Amino acid sequence: MNAEAETGWPEAAVDYVQAIADTKLLLGQRYGEWMLKGPHLEDNISGASNAQDEIGQVRQLFRLLKQQGVDEEWLESERAPEEYANAPTLDEEAENWPTFVVQAALTDRTAWLLLDAIDHDDFTGMVQKMGEDEYFHLEHQDGRLETLAESQPDAVEAALERYFPQILTFIGPATYDQASDPLVNAGFTDRSVADIRGALHEHYVELFASTDVSVPPLDGDVPDPDQWDAKRRRTDDGHVEASVVDQLQGVSNKEYVIE
Amino acid sequence: MSVNSVDAGTPGFHIGPDEDADELEREVWETLDTVPDPHIPVSLVEMAMIYDVDVDAGEATVTMTFPCMGCPAYDMIKDDVRAALRTIRGITGVEIEITWDPVWSKDMLTETAHEELKDAGISL
Repeated sequence: MNAEAETGWPEAAVDYVQAIADTKLLLGQRYGEWMLKGPHLEDNISGASNAQDEIGQVRQLFRLLKQQGVDEEWLESERAPEEYANAPTLDEEAENWPTFVVQAALTDRTAWLLLDAIDHDDFTGMVQKMGEDEYFHLEHQDGRLETLAESQPDAVEAALERYFPQILTFIGPATYDQASDPLVNAGFTDRSVADIRGALHEHYVELFASTDVSVPPLDGDVPDPDQWDAKRRRTDDGHVEASVVDQLQGVSNKEYVIE
Repeated sequence: MSVNSVDAGTPGFHIGPDEDADELEREVWETLDTVPDPHIPVSLVEMAMIYDVDVDAGEATVTMTFPCMGCPAYDMIKDDVRAALRTIRGITGVEIEITWDPVWSKDMLTETAHEELKDAGISL
């Protein structure tokens, strides 16, 4: 396959990949923020490694988006906070370690499920390569969630109640099933939004089955399909803080950029 | 350094110029075999990062991959490839295409590369 194949994607597919890429960009940021604040050295090492992996994946997703005509300057340095299509779970830095682990785990797994659903030649090999990174992220996070569910079940459950509706909103409406999901119908993905929602929920129900932590129900009314913006995968106009966007765009270090 | 014109460990994967490669393409491969991986003491060719070379009217297209998607030397390595190939008489431009198909694996390294890494105290 020619990796630079420039077959045009449906517009909805560009938005879908943009949302995954922006989520990974913010995941890299959040991992970076926590890589010196974890309770154990291993947590800090994994945070640094995960941040590097996510930024590397963003670089490749941005490369494909540029091939689809998305402006490079806009992608990397000229966007306002409300133009980022990241998962709303990442809008704010978590206040404490258990909350961060739930935030990162739910979001990283969701981004992987959305990515793994893509069935397009431009992603041949790339998704497999990303999966090599993600295997370790998700295994590590599940392990941490299991131990936190034993030691701090209330904190884990509170974070799940906070983030689960947000991540369901990001995945999309339950009404997007195998017959009606626009990207499945377009042949860009092979797994519907409804299926991905179910897979995510099932994973965490099984993970916490033998603990005191309850996973919020899979609420079919979240998000409301009539309110859902498919471009930013949200029902509101929330966004990441401007100060974080300044860091993502390297505003304070622009004078050191080598052109 | 040597161009590893032998089959690597991955079935169907071949490192080095094709049998029908012309003299200029072979020179491009030989030059790429002098570009070091900045992390370990083997060349990009020995590291199985170069998948294909094509030269058309002086324009060299190098199709390459990276063992690590988050490689911090990603841009530096691409700059090194461009800089090295621009020294070749007859090459007027260099295009680099990134591919992940097939996904790089340590099985693609030749025995020679494994030995060189082993001598340097690196086990892959």
